[in-house]
Amino acid sequence: MRHYKNLVKPYLVWSFVVILVPLFMIFLYAVTNSGNSLINIQFTFENFLKFTEPVYLEVFITSIRLGIITVGICLVMGYTMAYIISRCKEKVQGFLILLVTIPMWINMIIRIYAWKSILEPLGLMYTDFAVMVGQICEFLPFMIIPIHTSLSKMDKSFVEASYDLGANPIQTFFKITFKLSIPGVLNGVIMVFLLSISTFMIPQILGGGQYMLIGNLIEKQFVEIGDWNFGSAVSLVLAIIILVSIRWMKKIDKGENS
Amino acid sequence: MKKLTRISSGLYVALCFAFFYVPIIITMIFSFNSSRSFAKFTGFSFQWYEALINDSEIMAAVGVSVSVAIIATAISTVLGTVTAIGLSKSRRILKEWVLNINNIPIMNPDIVTAIGLMILFTSMKLEKGYLTMLLAHICFCTPYVITSVYPKVRELDVNIANAAMDLGATPFQALVKVIVPMIKPGIYAGMLLAFTMSIDDFVVSYFVSGNGVENISMIVYNATKRINPTINALSTIVILVIVAAVAIVNTAPIIKRQRWFVRLSSNIPLKMKRFCMLVLCAAVCAGLFLIGGEKRTLKVYNAGEYIDDTLIEEFEAENDCAVIYETFDSNESMYTKVMSGERYDIIIPSDYMIERLAKEELLQKVDKTKLSNLKEIIPSLLNRPFDPENNYSIPYFWGNVGILYDRTVVAEEDLKGGWEVLRNPKYKDNIYMYNSERDSFMIALKALGYSLNTDKKSELDEAYEWLLEQKKMVNPIYVGDEVIDSMIAGSRAMAIVYSGDAAYIMSENENLGFFAPEIGTNIWIDGMVIPKDCKDAELAHKWIDFMLKPENASRNSEAVGYSSPIESSFEEISSSVYEGNEAYVPRQDNEADEYFRYQDPETKKYCAELWTKVKSQ
Repeated sequence: MRHYKNLVKPYLVWSFVVILVPLFMIFLYAVTNSGNSLINIQFTFENFLKFTEPVYLEVFITSIRLGIITVGICLVMGYTMAYIISRCKEKVQGFLILLVTIPMWINMIIRIYAWKSILEPLGLMYTDFAVMVGQICEFLPFMIIPIHTSLSKMDKSFVEASYDLGANPIQTFFKITFKLSIPGVLNGVIMVFLLSISTFMIPQILGGGQYMLIGNLIEKQFVEIGDWNFGSAVSLVLAIIILVSIRWMKKIDKGENS
Repeated sequence: MKKLTRISSGLYVALCFAFFYVPIIITMIFSFNSSRSFAKFTGFSFQWYEALINDSEIMAAVGVSVSVAIIATAISTVLGTVTAIGLSKSRRILKEWVLNINNIPIMNPDIVTAIGLMILFTSMKLEKGYLTMLLAHICFCTPYVITSVYPKVRELDVNIANAAMDLGATPFQALVKVIVPMIKPGIYAGMLLAFTMSIDDFVVSYFVSGNGVENISMIVYNATKRINPTINALSTIVILVIVAAVAIVNTAPIIKRQRWFVRLSSNIPLKMKRFCMLVLCAAVCAGLFLIGGEKRTLKVYNAGEYIDDTLIEEFEAENDCAVIYETFDSNESMYTKVMSGERYDIIIPSDYMIERLAKEELLQKVDKTKLSNLKEIIPSLLNRPFDPENNYSIPYFWGNVGILYDRTVVAEEDLKGGWEVLRNPKYKDNIYMYNSERDSFMIALKALGYSLNTDKKSELDEAYEWLLEQKKMVNPIYVGDEVIDSMIAGSRAMAIVYSGDAAYIMSENENLGFFAPEIGTNIWIDGMVIPKDCKDAELAHKWIDFMLKPENASRNSEAVGYSSPIESSFEEISSSVYEGNEAYVPRQDNEADEYFRYQDPETKKYCAELWTKVKSQ
């Protein structure tokens, strides 16, 4: 069976070059300030010190706040949807889930563009509302599907048992159904949070140039201003925020299970 | 009660689906509209589909999207499957390491993956384009294949390959004939995921591609600034293809069980299937070679919405060459791209940027003996301070910056305050500013009575405060070319625009007026320059001369609305198409009007930071 061991080797090299090296380079840019050349490296912490300036802090806070609001709305809307779907007949369920997934297959930019053509004549472009609508429409399926998966896997006899033991529907929902669907909820929450905190084209297209989120800040540094060092520092912080929140969610998940 | 919950939950589901599908359906409906409008359906027509087929840029992008997706899927499926099989036989530590590394691109935000790869490719001196896009797609597709194949491999009986080999199979035969068929569902799932990830991708492609290589997402992103029903037609086709594909995939098991399918497929000999596969591969390869033709090429980098497209085709035909035409949003983003190592043959920046590029020795001198139409240029546009002898630049368009306003909404007496009208609370949420650092600071500095070329920090700070206060008072929206269609539709009271855009917009909406405050504004000249690393200087000179030719200059000026630097064209257009249009003839007699000049790096950095701050608050 040792025959196939070597099959990993190409990917080891490949993943080192295209996954680890780029991450290391982002790190390198973030802790230096010699511009776009790596010839005379000077280590510095000033790219990170910039975050203490209220303006950049504000960008992070706004992004995280918007991310949390998006997650909240998606959770309420998505849970309701997933719950209703999970109570349909099996064939209907399959069809409805298919309907949920189809938009995910269609190019994201095309759907944002479609929203623009609706919001423009209504005079709703370039508002918080436009950005929220765009984000929710794009990300809601990522909430519905994992929740539906865990709801449909759930053993229905738990619910019956709960009724038999005298619980009312509300108690049953919160103490049984919701608790059992928590892994799906967490998956959905992570996905939607990750997507909404790092997007730059939804605010760019629907919100206008004054809409500055983390993603836009990074894009500006690389495309417009040309400060790769600060841009790398922002990306690094963004990656860390995401990794920490994923870890945190996983911890909650484990805590619930034990 | 039960009935009520049923009805309300049905209603809820319907509403959610409406939320998902209404935009998509509207896009599809309006792709058949006979006019450009998004507000009114004026009649049924196929014209946008015709335009789509004739649009070589979009068709090339479709080719890129599809071929990158197919090749990236094929490579990442093989690589991912092989790795997953190898992994299951590896030691535990290695296994965990690889799986953890593999998770990084899945968990990381797209934008971080994208800039990581962009930095990597730049430092490897790989020219951005098709190859970099393909490599990047393989990079983010493979992890998905591994995660969907690996669980299937683990489910396999450990002894199965041994059994095959005991029976005389070589390790390779055991792999292909035994293991792979057993993990097929995982491979298919991974393949499907890889394909959709690749064909949908925007963020990574946006950062790692270049040299005019664009995929569908990038085309749509660039097109979102203007109303363009051709994009609706493109979207409709994409949507229909995807819905059809999803439908086929989901009904495939049913079809496979039908008798006619079984009979039909068992009648096709295996050789035939292999032959089909070969033909498909050959087609993909041929497509690839077609993209990289062998004509003379000219790479032109110009601002968006700044040329009559038919001129490009004409130039190509006249000189038997291919023009790779790319556009930028602002001088600053152009400069950043050039500094990141992109090479062009012709760039069309503004005055102050020309000065900067010349100072940094990035430009070559224009050989004026090669330009037969040089004498046609308006003399007062030559030998300006940013390029005293026109050694480096030849005028392309010129104009100034002013306020475009809706006469039916903005009171004349409000305009007497000059730039201050932009801070009048009456017009809260009703003002478009230009999403550009230098133009916004120009307005604030002029409003305060300073020179727009100041390098005094105190004056810049004051300008910053002016902009910040404006933001608090009227909440302006910072946009780019989006302004054009939006103002034609009359959706805001005022907008900061360049005179040429104003001329065009006013020709489409007669309620609008244009004025440049007495206290002074920016007058500018955009010029054609040839970078030092231009590969075909002869062709570049031909391009410049082609643009200076009076007939071409007139057509160009008429199409985009900007003032032509060619004397005869300027007179012709200002007395015909744009007659009486106050924006087409920029004033040339105000002492307070200034050209932008080169900013020293420190001032520039200072302004860039202030500008980011203005926008982030």
